[in-house]
Amino acid sequence: MSTKRRIKVRVNGQSYEHEVESRLLLVDYLRDVVGLKGTHFGCDTTSCGACTVIVDGRSAKSCTRFAVQADGKEILTIEGLARDGELHPIQEAFWTHHALQCGFCTSGMVMAAYFLLLRNSNPSEAEIKHGIAGNLCRCTGYLPIVEAVTSAAQKLRSIKAAS
Amino acid sequence: MSGESTHNKLVGSAIRRKEDPDILLGEARYTQDVTLPGMLHAAILRSPYAHARIRSINLDRALALPGVVAGLTGAQLKEISYLQPLAPFPFQSRDPFQKGNPTIKFFDHYCLATDKARFVGEPLAAVVAADRYIAEDALELIDTEFDELPAVVGTEAALAPNAPRLYEEWDDNIMLTFRVSGGDVERAFREADVTVKEEIRSGRFTGTPIETRAVVANYEANSKTLTVWDTTQIAHPISTLIENTIALPQLKVRVLAPRIGGGYGQKWSFYAEEVLIPLLSILTRRPVKWVETRCEHMVGTIHAREQIHGIEAAVRKDGTILGIKDRIVANIGAAYPTGGLASIVTTGMFVPGAYKIENYAGEVIGVVTNKTPFGAHRGFGKSEACFVIERLVDIIAEKLGLDPPEVRKRNFIPPEDFPYVSVTGPRYDSGQYARALTRAMELADYSGWREQQGRLRREGRAIGIGTCLVVEPSSSTRMGSYNAGYYSVRMRMDPNGKVAVFPSGSDEGQGHATSISQLVADELHVPFGDISVVEGDSLACPYGSGSYSSRFSVVGTTAATLAARQLKEKILNVASVLLRVPAASLELGEGEIVARDNPKQAVTLKDAARAAYFSIFRLPEGLEPGLEIIFHYRDPNIEFHADERGRVAMFSSFPYDAEVAVVEVDIESGSLKILKFVSVHDCGNMLNPLIVRGQHLGALAHGFGGALYEELPYDENGQPLATSFKDYFVPTAMEMPELTLDHLVTPNPFTPGGFKGAGETGTVGPPAVLANAVEDALRPMGIKIRQVPLSPTYLWSLIEQAKRCQ
Repeated sequence: MSTKRRIKVRVNGQSYEHEVESRLLLVDYLRDVVGLKGTHFGCDTTSCGACTVIVDGRSAKSCTRFAVQADGKEILTIEGLARDGELHPIQEAFWTHHALQCGFCTSGMVMAAYFLLLRNSNPSEAEIKHGIAGNLCRCTGYLPIVEAVTSAAQKLRSIKAAS
Repeated sequence: MSGESTHNKLVGSAIRRKEDPDILLGEARYTQDVTLPGMLHAAILRSPYAHARIRSINLDRALALPGVVAGLTGAQLKEISYLQPLAPFPFQSRDPFQKGNPTIKFFDHYCLATDKARFVGEPLAAVVAADRYIAEDALELIDTEFDELPAVVGTEAALAPNAPRLYEEWDDNIMLTFRVSGGDVERAFREADVTVKEEIRSGRFTGTPIETRAVVANYEANSKTLTVWDTTQIAHPISTLIENTIALPQLKVRVLAPRIGGGYGQKWSFYAEEVLIPLLSILTRRPVKWVETRCEHMVGTIHAREQIHGIEAAVRKDGTILGIKDRIVANIGAAYPTGGLASIVTTGMFVPGAYKIENYAGEVIGVVTNKTPFGAHRGFGKSEACFVIERLVDIIAEKLGLDPPEVRKRNFIPPEDFPYVSVTGPRYDSGQYARALTRAMELADYSGWREQQGRLRREGRAIGIGTCLVVEPSSSTRMGSYNAGYYSVRMRMDPNGKVAVFPSGSDEGQGHATSISQLVADELHVPFGDISVVEGDSLACPYGSGSYSSRFSVVGTTAATLAARQLKEKILNVASVLLRVPAASLELGEGEIVARDNPKQAVTLKDAARAAYFSIFRLPEGLEPGLEIIFHYRDPNIEFHADERGRVAMFSSFPYDAEVAVVEVDIESGSLKILKFVSVHDCGNMLNPLIVRGQHLGALAHGFGGALYEELPYDENGQPLATSFKDYFVPTAMEMPELTLDHLVTPNPFTPGGFKGAGETGTVGPPAVLANAVEDALRPMGIKIRQVPLSPTYLWSLIEQAKRCQ
């Protein structure tokens, strides 16, 4: 039915090598083969963004690309953000601003915010809304997420200034 | 240490949630994350037709595919001797109130359609394979033959005398009728200065949690134990319903729903897959997993809201509403036990809304159609009632030449009338409606906008101002249903002084663990971090009706508080023995029990707890060992028995929200811009203001979705036209307007905490207030708004029509 290919990827700084079916979706690869369940599956049509991860520095919806397309690439998932048990400033800000409720969209939303702040360290409210427009949340009404990203940006800028 | 408590009160403070770090680190586990050794994966063949007789479904080619383990069709269900039709839900009988009103027809649907397919998306067959990819391949190899039948789609069409019938066994397509009335409505109409009569429609939409449904079932034949991980808000009722449907002798069902990715009511139903997947596990003797795709979700998970109201009002010239008649026809889809019937009964009860209307006659008719079955969605029937009454008030105001908020204020239930028994029976707990509306109008600068409106109109701008007052009854109970009117909590202080709480509900994102920890920390003076909460386990937690109707903040919090007080009494009794001081002279300090008059007489909580478990020789007869209790809280503000006119108190708390919206409509495109949106919300005391704000904002977002974007249309053949997020538009961050939020606090007098439901009020208002604002904006063109969503297409067509008439 489907051919297999060997791929090598780095996920959250760790190297993996697997034989995978060429039709295996990246989201299923991350969840079921690598075993990182923090990336979620919400719509299978690139609409909701629950499966957002960072591939070679760019945000990607992992439900609509194949694992083989990630061959040789560097992937960052929600599990790779915290350092030494300390929440990343974006995660910390989401907590403080109550920017999550059921938490199902949260992994993707945090990764979308991470990608936004990589490109723009001081986004306006409109830029934040635009930056997370590909990620749906049915719990929060988004405004606490916008507040969290604003505050995380500020914190990241002050960390950068201090270093 | 003095007798004064040094405990910092946590109830009322905006503390961060203890649930969040796990989620933020990606370590929280949902049903789709469950993986068991030897697990198989199911895929479901769903009907491509709205209405069709099934001639044959042949699995041979599918079963021959390598990796496919088993398959099942509706026809094969007959061979399973122990399998019953899906048990009814939420009403358990055809005459739930035992008064012949409502009357309900049931149909014996099985977990796969056996004779006919009755909606697009109805499960017809299933295959189980080594992985989901193979299972999906196998679906394509199933050979099917159907005879397509004419579809019943529209509400009026379903009622037509010659309409095709969904269920040939029935005389018509009517599943439920309910009548509720109070006062003398005919007299009110005789005495009225003016009457108005309108047809107002609510569109079909739904909740769409980002987590679709999922079921993982593991049957262990030796012990006859069936463990079901399930995205459900009601683990206990589902365990009972599965046992009633899969009637294997000695079957023991445990339902686990520890973390749910959003529910909003959609996970409060009894679904075919909750039987089908366990059945496949029993048949294959392997764990079986099914995760709904989004396309499946859009047709296989409940819809809500679709109603037509023929409403009439009797009014005095000064705007006083003397009486209301409403005939409500709801298009509830196929007759599966998904719970939507209860929502339309609720609509009939709450058309009077925030108003002191003493004469009312409501008739509710639920018609079955070849659409996805009806169920619960945040606002459950009350949203539709609010839309109708709040539209009607504006229509009355226009007819009498009055300002709509003045008509509202003239008719509001005044603060001194609470607790107020409504014309339909519910006892409204408390409220300050006029004060809330006045506050919202101040914050919106209502009079300023009214002054500007004329000038802006002359400049060609269609600016409109809308008001509304939402009452969102919460914590529902009804006789003859699974909404049983109590909440149970088990609570244990362990030998180390830590507390474990086992509530009977479940959390879909509301932060129950945090809220309960705040309550228990205050009652027992134990650190917030030493309290753990276990929910969504039908075996470990005491039996209960589950989570719905914003009931946690009403009955759940009360059950937890009173359980903690009972546990405290027990702790004091143990300490009394240890200290030889009467329990009445003892009190809790920080981590210890202290004699009120003599602080030197003290024992640590931990020592008292250890004694309760391990030194029972020190305890007198009658004082039970251990520190574990179970508390059942019965909702005090409900009435089980309906009277002969259908009046009954089914909800126990009445949060409300005054909303003002200012909108601008682009006459060229029909698009709408919200210039100002104010909400003044009152949910009584706030347990955690951070959580309350989050609940309210999220609810408002659902409201904006339903008011402006979300719609589940069908074509004339019963084909659904919105089957993904590409054609069902839920709001993104870009669609959220700037909001001005404020609160009043009118405590609930029936509960010790004074809390009311907080999670649904926001959903109810936007359709009404935005429709009112849009009609106001388009008033110079004579445009009438009688339905939602207010999509650009709808508004543009109204504008074009008006232009042609001018």
